[in-house]
Amino acid sequence: MKKVNLGPILFVGPHIVLFLVFILLPTIFGIYASFTKWNMISDPVWVGLDNYRTILFNSDSTFYQQFYNGMKNTFIFVLITVPLMIIIPLLIAVALEQKDVKFKNMFQTLLYIPGLISISAASLIWSLIFNKQLGVANNLFGSDVVWSATQPYAWITIIAITIWAGIGGNMIIYRASINGVSPDLYESAEIDGAGSFRKFINVTLPSIRFPLIFTLVMTTAGSFNVFAQPLMMTSGGPQQSTTVLMMYIRDLAFSHGQSIAGVASAMAVMLGLVILVISAIQYYLMNRNAV
Amino acid sequence: MYLAYTFLILVSAIWLVPVLFGITTSFRSQTEVVNEGFRLLPVNWIVDNYVAILENTSSAPILQWIWNSIFISTTHTLLVIVVVSITGYGYTRMKFKGRDALFFTLLAISFFPNVVNLIPSYKIIDTLGWVNTPWAMIVPGLAGMGNIFLVRQFMKGIPKELDESARVDGASDFVIFFRIILPLIKPVLIVCGLFSFVGSWNDFLWPVIVYTDVQKMPVTAGLLLLQDVYGNYRMIGQLMGSAILAIIPTLLLFLFAQKYFVQAIKLNAGIKG
Repeated sequence: MKKVNLGPILFVGPHIVLFLVFILLPTIFGIYASFTKWNMISDPVWVGLDNYRTILFNSDSTFYQQFYNGMKNTFIFVLITVPLMIIIPLLIAVALEQKDVKFKNMFQTLLYIPGLISISAASLIWSLIFNKQLGVANNLFGSDVVWSATQPYAWITIIAITIWAGIGGNMIIYRASINGVSPDLYESAEIDGAGSFRKFINVTLPSIRFPLIFTLVMTTAGSFNVFAQPLMMTSGGPQQSTTVLMMYIRDLAFSHGQSIAGVASAMAVMLGLVILVISAIQYYLMNRNAV
Repeated sequence: MYLAYTFLILVSAIWLVPVLFGITTSFRSQTEVVNEGFRLLPVNWIVDNYVAILENTSSAPILQWIWNSIFISTTHTLLVIVVVSITGYGYTRMKFKGRDALFFTLLAISFFPNVVNLIPSYKIIDTLGWVNTPWAMIVPGLAGMGNIFLVRQFMKGIPKELDESARVDGASDFVIFFRIILPLIKPVLIVCGLFSFVGSWNDFLWPVIVYTDVQKMPVTAGLLLLQDVYGNYRMIGQLMGSAILAIIPTLLLFLFAQKYFVQAIKLNAGIKG
């Protein structure tokens, strides 16, 4: 009889058990649940594509309205936030990597620290900035705006806190990558008569394409899961105009007493598919164009 | 260059204002806040807000929340380090059939957006009886593949000759793991540890779902309740004081371990691509 080598099982096995219980099983069950009527207490009842039919096509249903409103608001958030989360850190990194700039690490630390503050603590502080009477915002602009309850200001509060908390990580990645670009490339560009802007376009950008793809894919996928900022800053208002899909998913599944986990699961699967497809497209397009 | 400076100073100032404004407001009385309106510095500095915060141990037990977070994040981090180091060893230094195929299969599955497993994960935690216990936040995160991927990349850089010669001398996997590999992978373990700690400390969606008991929740979930506890900004100083207390622990950790954080982000991005 062949001797079984126990070693690898001891080293790899425990994590595989964790993986099966906390990732694979819930993922499979989540997909299964999206085809059922389920309240998280009694057993799920198979209903085929009913949940999908409701959220995608039945325009009389509340779930349909919630799904499209949540999707729309999530996309608004992603489309505004992601470009800013790429461009602002890139500009800062370029500024930080100018030869004569001093206190680089001090600037970097200052800009990175907000990323360490939990989003709920940050939201409390930022709600003060946007407070009608006492806030910096209204005092600065001489305005009289109820930021969290009027559009487009409600979006501005959500985007502002997201950018404030989120640029640090990308900034450090870009800084390190720009630092690693060979000086020879810049020199030969200079010989060809390139100014700083041309050097940025022709040398810096192509050289850091891998970190750019990485941050773009990660930032986009992360942004689709947005939940805390609108919940804390605007509670999804005014008139649900900042209620993102994750808020509906959580409310439907975990509202006490009447869980509608089947429908919530269908929404979650749709959101998951959107994230998956967009990440794949981004990766494919950028990787192809960059070569 | 002046352009770069102006830009950096401007951005840094904008980035600092909220925290400073929060700190100074936490030292103002509510009457002053209402009567004097917007000010960057208090007229009278007072600590009453902090006294009130610390005395409220029923509806907003902030010290208890911070302690819950410290316990959860520390335990989680230590377990992450144990799991990723032994698993990383298994996937890089041991030979078994289908090793790399297994690793990449798990990695591919983990790319599936985890919004899909959110609801069943709650059901599993509920079945295990872990709702409103620290384990709800400590254990599920141990299953992730990200840190293992990082450790695997790092371990592959360690020369094979090191453990092979030890193996020839009759050393077992346990000896090689503890004596040779573990000391060498310390940098990447620190990186995983820091990210796990901050990630667990700042997690929001999951704790909001699995904790309903005010005394048991971590601080991020607790802060969500404060808007109601402090009357929707009718006690602004106490609200700000609570937020400031909540950010002190991670800030201290960052200041002590700053160079590792920067290293960590670079490593995590796989800059070498």
